[in-house]
Amino acid sequence: MRTSLQAVALWGQKAPPHSITAIMITDDQRTIVTGSQEGQLCLWNLSRELKISAKELLFGHSASVTCLARARDFSKQPYIVSAAENGEMCVWNVTNGQCVEKATLPYRHTAICYYHCSFRMTGEGWLLCCGEYQDVLIIDAKTLAVVHSFRSSQFPDWINCMCIVHSMRIQEDSLLVVSVAGELKVWDLSSSINSIQEKQDVYEKESKFLESLNCQTIRFCTYTERLLLVVFSKCWKVYDYCDFSLLLTEVSRNGQFFAGGEVIAAHRILIWTEDGHSYIYQLLNRWAQMGAAYKTFSGLSKSIYPADGRVLKETIYPHLLCSTSVQENKSHPFVMGYMNERKEPFYKVLFSGEVSGRITLWHIPDVPVSKFDGSPRDIPVTATWTLQDNFDKHDTVSQSIIDYFSGLKDGAGTAVVTSSEYIPSLDKLICGCEDGTIIITQALNAAKARLLEGGSLVKDSPPHKVLKGHHQSVTSLLYPHGLSSKLDQSWMLSGDLESCVILWDIFTEEILHKFFLEAGPVTSLLMSPEKFKLRGEQIICCVCSDHSVALLHLEGKSCLLHARKHLFPVRMIKWHPVENFLIVGCADDSVYIWEIETGTLERHETGERARIILNCCDDSQLVKSVFPIASETLNHKGVEQRSSSPYQLGPLPCPGLQVESSCKVTDAKFCPRPFNVLPVKTKWSNVGFHILLFDLENLVELLLPTPLSDVDSSSSFYGGEVLRRAKSTVEKKTLTLRKSKTACGPLSAEALAKPVTESLAQGDNTIKFSEENDGIKRQKKMKVSKKLQPKPSRKVDASLTIDTAKLFLSCLLPWGVDKALDYLCIKHLNILKLQGPISLGLASNEDNFSLMLPGWDLCNTEMTKDYSGVNLFSRKVLDLSDKYTATLPNQVGIPRGLENNCDSLQESNTIVYLLSRLFLVNKLVNMPLELACRVGSSFRMECVHNKVRSAGNDILNMSSFYSCLRNGKNESQVPEADLSLLKLISCWRDQSVQVTEAIQAVLLAEIQQHMKSLGEIPVNSQPVSMAENGNCEMKQMLPKLEWTEELELQCIRNTLPLQTPVSLVKHDSNSNSANFQDVEDMPDRCVLEESESPGEPRHHSWIAKVCPCKVS
Amino acid sequence: MATVMAATAAERVVLEEEFRWLLHDEVHAVLKQLQDILKEASLRFTLPGSGTEGPAKQENFILGSCGTDQVKGVLTLQGDALSQADVNLKMPRNNQLLHFAFREDKQWKLQQIQDARNHVSQAIYLLTSRDQSYQFKTGAEVLKLMDAVMLQLTRARNRLTTPATLTLPEIAASGLTRMFAPALPSDLLVNVYINLNKLCLTVYQLHALQPNSTKNFRPAGGAVLHSLGAMLDPLTAHSEWGSQRLEVSHVHKVECVIPWLNDALVYFTVSLQLCQQLKDKISVFSSYWSYRPF
Repeated sequence: MRTSLQAVALWGQKAPPHSITAIMITDDQRTIVTGSQEGQLCLWNLSRELKISAKELLFGHSASVTCLARARDFSKQPYIVSAAENGEMCVWNVTNGQCVEKATLPYRHTAICYYHCSFRMTGEGWLLCCGEYQDVLIIDAKTLAVVHSFRSSQFPDWINCMCIVHSMRIQEDSLLVVSVAGELKVWDLSSSINSIQEKQDVYEKESKFLESLNCQTIRFCTYTERLLLVVFSKCWKVYDYCDFSLLLTEVSRNGQFFAGGEVIAAHRILIWTEDGHSYIYQLLNRWAQMGAAYKTFSGLSKSIYPADGRVLKETIYPHLLCSTSVQENKSHPFVMGYMNERKEPFYKVLFSGEVSGRITLWHIPDVPVSKFDGSPRDIPVTATWTLQDNFDKHDTVSQSIIDYFSGLKDGAGTAVVTSSEYIPSLDKLICGCEDGTIIITQALNAAKARLLEGGSLVKDSPPHKVLKGHHQSVTSLLYPHGLSSKLDQSWMLSGDLESCVILWDIFTEEILHKFFLEAGPVTSLLMSPEKFKLRGEQIICCVCSDHSVALLHLEGKSCLLHARKHLFPVRMIKWHPVENFLIVGCADDSVYIWEIETGTLERHETGERARIILNCCDDSQLVKSVFPIASETLNHKGVEQRSSSPYQLGPLPCPGLQVESSCKVTDAKFCPRPFNVLPVKTKWSNVGFHILLFDLENLVELLLPTPLSDVDSSSSFYGGEVLRRAKSTVEKKTLTLRKSKTACGPLSAEALAKPVTESLAQGDNTIKFSEENDGIKRQKKMKVSKKLQPKPSRKVDASLTIDTAKLFLSCLLPWGVDKALDYLCIKHLNILKLQGPISLGLASNEDNFSLMLPGWDLCNTEMTKDYSGVNLFSRKVLDLSDKYTATLPNQVGIPRGLENNCDSLQESNTIVYLLSRLFLVNKLVNMPLELACRVGSSFRMECVHNKVRSAGNDILNMSSFYSCLRNGKNESQVPEADLSLLKLISCWRDQSVQVTEAIQAVLLAEIQQHMKSLGEIPVNSQPVSMAENGNCEMKQMLPKLEWTEELELQCIRNTLPLQTPVSLVKHDSNSNSANFQDVEDMPDRCVLEESESPGEPRHHSWIAKVCPCKVS
Repeated sequence: MATVMAATAAERVVLEEEFRWLLHDEVHAVLKQLQDILKEASLRFTLPGSGTEGPAKQENFILGSCGTDQVKGVLTLQGDALSQADVNLKMPRNNQLLHFAFREDKQWKLQQIQDARNHVSQAIYLLTSRDQSYQFKTGAEVLKLMDAVMLQLTRARNRLTTPATLTLPEIAASGLTRMFAPALPSDLLVNVYINLNKLCLTVYQLHALQPNSTKNFRPAGGAVLHSLGAMLDPLTAHSEWGSQRLEVSHVHKVECVIPWLNDALVYFTVSLQLCQQLKDKISVFSSYWSYRPF
């Protein structure tokens, strides 16, 4: 399940590129938000001293961000909205980086204005949008659904810019827009709310042709309520708002393009240009200077209603007061904005973002004045910052995953990783470097060496291989076995800049073959689908940057076809197995069909025909599509790993079918893994980074049944399972789908035929679990397990799992809060301290997630100085933790199954206990959200009304689920005291405590509690090394055997209390969801439980297999 | 190995020199060429306010089909708007001649032409903002500019090559049906769109499905050109049909090539290729110093 997935980003030394296309400062002046061409948003912390520091990167858009705007009354909800080039819109919570709402509409917005009229409007208000479509679109700020539009009766055209005018004088809000053709239009806003809500057409009240093109900004002077500033790219003009008569035109000098402007005070305006300069002008009144006779007209504010608007005409002229500039050598265009102070400590700030990713701030003085001699004063830059500055400043935490190894190799600098691939089945990370070497390492070890402090034992141990064969930077990697089990497990392919593709044996480190393609850098390596075979073999498809496609036959070590006719970059590769065609879709929407056997170009089609060809391929057979920069999509869809997500992007005809087919396969064959590495690369650069994914749920599952496996894993496991089912009935179907998708690497996600045997790595329980969840797949299950048995399973590396768990705990622990506690953790849990605060990732839904940037910990303004450099997610954590400890009953400490067992057993027990606790918290905090978004608002309303009741339900679930977990530790009774804890946690979710905060708080409290109890015991045991772990675990299993009877009894006892919550929740979810038929599930489960009973002997044999492995 | 490195070091100097030339000279030359082509293309769209003062000139197009002469249309195009339309329809059954024309005071915006025109002017704006005086520092900058320009050009082209797919009720509800002076009879639907370089007019004749008809009723989805027998739900716009379901009984499609649209499409294709070639040139160099953002 996705919610149990925790991500940790391992940044490299280079910051990911962030070419700013949109920038805004939130109303509280605490956060700067930027949108980039790469599609990410960045949240920057702005301190009270106007210091900038990057905090978080938000992933969610798959195309360039076009505009940003406020999406709520900011003091109530800190929400902003972003729109992308491809019509995606997201509403984000700026404080925690979560995506609140997401929609894709067939409109490209270039500007958005938030409008809310509290006394006439229900709901959250409107987003008034304009862009590459006619007129103004009204979008609901909460649901992102189109409400209606403002129509123009005259010359409907695209709208370039707009502003909302709140006029105190006439008590009416108006919308002012300028179209691309230069037509100014005015709509009544507040008085047309009703008509809009009734879907009546509202036409403009006034319109006027402004006689200039490329309007950039229109602003109303709220100080005088009289002037209108309109900035065009080549000039700026001031109009009289009363009759739209032109008062002033100022044409740009020396080829500058104006980009925007703002009225900063009465008669004082700020204009900025596309190359980052800005100018403050005072609008002076000629008549006022001519003499006292015209005193009556001296200030426009004083003469709000002059008799004749024309009196004003030609009477004002601009006087340059101040200017700001940036240093030379800047990339443009700049996007700039101006923010006025609203309350006391706030500033007047002019801000700009550059394509290079730099943010610059100028503090504009309250009263800008020119120099004494009348020449303009230069306002200095107040602050400037880039993402890279963050990375440089916090370089200890910004090393790439393999920096340590490359450092070993040669002392001189670290190699830049240009491509990487993770093999989940071997837990190996392959990194291709810029200097042509390929490093293969154990991913978990590499992550540990990178993240954890000191522990020389960690650093010495990881064996890594260095493959040398390329002379140029390695641009792409492929592990064919990950895609099709039929291919040799030792094969690995790598392609470099000189279009040399090498086939390696990764075990012997030999070069099996070198293909020289002479076609420029290899942009991607792909494999034909299972169905498509040539000479009994699947073939490799190699896309090069000269837009050619080469087909390689691995067995035959030959190049079958080199298709070189494409004029545009290859976007899509499809295979036609029946006729042996290779269908290549290019970026210009043309299609090339190649006959593979003869190597001839069969057809070339463009336009409508091409579209049809690509479409009909989709449903006729399994297809694979590729993007030369598939990495870009990985960026966005990465964490969720929707199985074919790396391949659907932008104008793909209909990826739906494709997704479905591959989903099914993956669903049946893949199991979640507790640990995963996701390589991420960004567009337009070779900078990459890695994301570690921990699947908490899976980790708990893997650890938990182990002690019980020889007893009766199915029933007790099911106990928990039943509950989990009950809880998740509403989301059941999707859950399984996603669950199985969550943790597969990018490679495996795409693999359509990963061998069943591979999945055995998870142990039988997992298979059982995922299968069981999805009732329909039940029959397959038997087949699967049959297939499983004859093959020797890859051992469940228990020590690997426990290592993963330890690393995970290390990542979450608030190191540095309490030195004594740190020491105890290191000593008793045998986990290592972090080198620095980690960059955590947070997924808010399927497509959106946020990643902390190095140095994020310094951004928490409420964090005192003592806690800088501490892995504390927020100040809140400590309070939460205290609360939790207070509720924690004294007698319930960390369960220790045996009073006098050895330390390491206790250690692993503790870890399991902690993890299960964390999982529980995670589940509790996450669940209502999921329920809410699935079942809809009606349910949530109900929830709110019957808070007590639903909370009660949850707690019942949880407590019995919890008791199940406890069972594993030989504690049978449902701890009554825990109810209060669970209540507390479910309280947190109502207080919108973040999952990570809750998890860390609970972890801290539990550890404190545990260590307190430990502190009394004299510490006499030495730290146990990792290697001993396995031994201890085996010991751990032995005593468990003796408990068999006792446990069975407990299980029987358990079943009774279990029933109640199940039925309760069932009732609940049934009434709320029409989609999922829970009734069907009941028999399913029964059958399953029966069918699982023969599983018992299997467990024995499985253990027999595992145990010797561990001892050895 | 050492000699290889030395050779590449010498090579590098030359390459960097070449790359500098590419960034400073060649890129601007291509941008200039692109601007010229696109300006030429935008002239075809007669951008308002771009030098040509006064109302855009009117062009008459006589639409017909080679097969039959049942429908004839004379459409007058003024920039991106249809200012006049005369449609003559010979009823197939009784050979009765029907004539419809636009109301004098109304114009019908051809959204496709307007969008294409706006996309082109956006592309031109992007190009003019980097004139000769602008110095490109990195190849990535050029690539990004080219991507932005190509996005606009592709959209401009797609706007013309892919007419909107509308359902029959959508056609009925569109403002176009209300444009005609003697109001269109309720059994006629009219749609005007651009397909590639052609101005197309389709006239659908409807008749009510017999209530006891054995045909399975399946409302037609969206399409550019609906085929004979496409069915639709009763139209709310025309109340006289009551609740009867309708079927298309005749489809007439007439079209006429707009020569300047043809030119514009050619210009789009040429400029797209120019953009891609420039991108390719830049990326050739990227291979040599991948370690820095080229």
